[in-house]
Amino acid sequence: MSRWLRAVLVVAIASLVVVLALAFRRAPTDIRTGTVGKPAAAFTLEKLDGPGTWSSEQAKGKVVVVNFFASWCIPCKEENPALVRVYERYRASDVVFIGVLYQDSRDSGLKYVRDNGVAWPTVIDDAGRVAFSYGVFGIPETFFIGPDGVIVGRHIGPIDETTLVRGIECLRVPNAGDCPRASASR
Amino acid sequence: MIERARGWKSARVALVLALVALALAVGWSARPRTETPAERVDRITSELRCVVCQGLSVRDSPSESARQMRDIVAQRVAEGRSDDEIRDEFRASYGDWVVLAPPLASWSGLVWLVPLAALLVGAFVALGRFRPPAAGAREPSAAELAQLRERARREESLDLPLDAR
Amino acid sequence: MSWADLGGAALRAALPLAIWGCGAAAYGAAKRDGRALASSRWSALLVLVLVALAILAMEGALVTHDFSIEYVARNNARATPLFFTVISLWAALEGSILLWTIVLAGATAYVAWRGVREMPRLATVALAVLLGMLAFFLLLVTTPAADPFVRIDPPPDGSGPNPLLQNHPLMALHPPLLYLGYVLFSVPFAYAIASLILGEGGDRWLVATRRFALVSWALLGVGIVAGSWWSYAVLGWGGYWAWDPVENAAIMPWLTATAYLHSVMVEEKRRLLRTWNLSLVITTFALTILGTFLTRSGVVNSVHAFTQSAIGPLLLGYFVAIVVLSVGLLLWRMPRLADQGGIGAPLSREAIFLFQNVVFVAATLTVLLGTLYPLIAEAISGAQLSIGRPYFDRVEVPLALALLFLMGIGPQLPWHGASRATLERQFTVPVVAAALGAAVAVVIGPSGVFAVLTYALAAFVAATVVQEFARGVRARRVLHGETAVVALASLIRRSGRRYGGYIVHLGIVVVAVAVATSQAGTVQIERTLSPTGSVQAGPYLLTLNSVRDMSEPQRDLVVADLDITGGGTSGHLRPALVFYPNSTQAIGSPGIAASPRDDVYTILAAYDSRAHSWATIRVLVIPLVSWIWLGGAIVGLGAVIAALPPPRSRTRPVTVARVTAARVVEP
Repeated sequence: MSRWLRAVLVVAIASLVVVLALAFRRAPTDIRTGTVGKPAAAFTLEKLDGPGTWSSEQAKGKVVVVNFFASWCIPCKEENPALVRVYERYRASDVVFIGVLYQDSRDSGLKYVRDNGVAWPTVIDDAGRVAFSYGVFGIPETFFIGPDGVIVGRHIGPIDETTLVRGIECLRVPNAGDCPRASASR
Repeated sequence: MIERARGWKSARVALVLALVALALAVGWSARPRTETPAERVDRITSELRCVVCQGLSVRDSPSESARQMRDIVAQRVAEGRSDDEIRDEFRASYGDWVVLAPPLASWSGLVWLVPLAALLVGAFVALGRFRPPAAGAREPSAAELAQLRERARREESLDLPLDAR
Repeated sequence: MSWADLGGAALRAALPLAIWGCGAAAYGAAKRDGRALASSRWSALLVLVLVALAILAMEGALVTHDFSIEYVARNNARATPLFFTVISLWAALEGSILLWTIVLAGATAYVAWRGVREMPRLATVALAVLLGMLAFFLLLVTTPAADPFVRIDPPPDGSGPNPLLQNHPLMALHPPLLYLGYVLFSVPFAYAIASLILGEGGDRWLVATRRFALVSWALLGVGIVAGSWWSYAVLGWGGYWAWDPVENAAIMPWLTATAYLHSVMVEEKRRLLRTWNLSLVITTFALTILGTFLTRSGVVNSVHAFTQSAIGPLLLGYFVAIVVLSVGLLLWRMPRLADQGGIGAPLSREAIFLFQNVVFVAATLTVLLGTLYPLIAEAISGAQLSIGRPYFDRVEVPLALALLFLMGIGPQLPWHGASRATLERQFTVPVVAAALGAAVAVVIGPSGVFAVLTYALAAFVAATVVQEFARGVRARRVLHGETAVVALASLIRRSGRRYGGYIVHLGIVVVAVAVATSQAGTVQIERTLSPTGSVQAGPYLLTLNSVRDMSEPQRDLVVADLDITGGGTSGHLRPALVFYPNSTQAIGSPGIAASPRDDVYTILAAYDSRAHSWATIRVLVIPLVSWIWLGGAIVGLGAVIAALPPPRSRTRPVTVARVTAARVVEP
């Protein structure tokens, strides 16, 4: 075998090993940013907890927290107490909380909202278009949108109080430092 | 002799006819056809990745998310969007990860060259093995004979019990 | 003494024994010490006994629901049926590694006991290599990386096996077959390394391990088909191969092993391609380790990525060690392996085998790079890519067609080269058959270029095989006056290697036709139905009767009752969504009506959870898919025929105790 071919062989095997070793850095449940950093898609959806519709225009210029949930989703139930607490904390302020029911029926969603004390406005995304435009991978997923309408961060999986508060504070006090761009629980 | 010649002739004719028929069949099956909208949706969804599955395409997955995505693609096809526009919409939401094979005209599209490169390299190595047959066998020299004998002895010592001398 | 005590102690006793055996064998080979060899043979046997004891301990713990062992608590529950309890030995990482260890221990003991009788020096070094590898795996199962006997505070009940693993009895077959295939390849590898270390052995190691290589290849192939069948019946999407990283990890060594089985013949017949064969053995074995690494380390997302543990870096280190050592040995010894003479004619059997090898290696490289590409891209630029079916299907299908073509012409060409007359005589009928095959595809079969090409090439190969059988039968009838049937049986019995190989080719042809037809001809329809509503799919009419809840001891189901009529069948299908107590998501369980012509595959995609008033049913009509499993069985049968030793000839050769004069070794 020529010297050249020998060298190629060594380099190929070495690169293979390096690539495989580097792959350990990344957790398999990695974060794909997708829509983070882009303007949030505008939407108008039917309200879950009453007649009429809710439009994202209503939240224009404000800090918005969008939470995708469903009644069949157990981690959603787990994260709900944290959402309730943080919502109470910011109720008086102009931070907008909106819950989007995802792949669920109206009745089940309504029951969930009532049983779990979901006090913020909720809408139903029955065709999944809004979830698609936000790039939802699976629920629960929470998005943080700044007053300029850009998605600043997202959290995949059940969210805890600390992450929620930090996300909101980052938006209310711009450039505050370590703001989550994309994160996941686990 | 003439019988055999005729036999050869008809065999050759059959061979040629068969090859022609084969070419026709392949050509017929490869004829360009316009895609129906449903086929177009199938094709596009087979190239998009279902976001809640382990590597399945949007077309193959029976999940609800995939069904909703198929609806989106069907709607866009009905609206007259191009393949690239539809794929771009998915990529805007989910990143490049959602496309199941990188496009040809990109850096990551180099992966399409891999099979071709592998075949070429392999063919190169293989053809290097082709050597013209030895131009007449020649008597081995005494040194070569001794070498061969030594080699035979070493190979056969493998058959002897381990501690034989 | 508890199960964990017994199992853990057995494994911890086996480890030093394996290390001792490895050292003793190495010493014995170096110093030609017969007693050291005997010592290592005994330690190999003892290690097998100890590992078997550990396996029994684990089974005992599983069957008695001993939840003080973490593995049992995580993979078993009181309600789990006995069958699935027993096979949950390999349901997760630690048990899988234990299974690997016992198969390796079995192979090592076999080599120690029977293999050392022929070519003692070569086999002794091979034994040392095997015991070294065994020591590594024993290290894995006695450290936190993969220790199956880790103890915990026993919970009241276990979590039960992963829901996907208790849906189908094929779970009993797929992992053991696959592991047997993987691990048995260690033996040809060990002999190859031994041959390189000793610098001698010529081609003897090939002959000694030929049967091992064939059996390992067959088990791996059948294991892959079994896995495919399992995935089809259980995963509920209607497909059988998705180029999932773990599927790729299994097929790569199978591809190179297939190449090896053929190029071995070139080395046997013409003493060529030594370096190539050694490289193939090393590559195949390295791919089995790489495959295990990819499956178990968690670096790629896939169906099998159940756990992530510290085993990743250890397996990677093992892989690096294997590759560095074997490639180093190969490069060191390469001058001694130079071919004498070369392949002369491009239209000879050895040349076709070489081309076939090139295509197989190109196919393997493509699968490898396609699987690793997302990792590579991320390492270089942080980009997150996917490489899936659209890529693999598009690049592998042409390579597969090329292989079909070579499969047809290879066996028909003689060694050393063919004349034009030979070519005409051999290939006229097959080419006509190919045209007929293409015609069948165009007229009644699936549409598309690839389907037509597959049918044509399948007919081509089938015709060459039939031609070979006919020729052989005719010869035997003339020479021995046997009837056709007896002649056929004798052919298969006496030249098992050759005719078994032809049967394997036939099996591959069946699989190729089935795959092409099922891919091109599948009809897929999704419809939301209310009870008494129906949907037409191809010639079949499916009517929804009801959507109902069902409760079984360890799981709850929502079942859609369907009636199927038309197309000559009538019956019931019950696709369901299964809810296991410890899992948040429902697992789809398809309802399949299989027949030689089509499978009707039904999936319950969605349903009305409140009133059961509607259900979304997905129907696929998949033609000829059952022939894939049949083709796999034919391949297995052919391999068995090829592996059987030929019947003893009438005149028994005289065994010579010692070799006294130099003689040339003849094939």
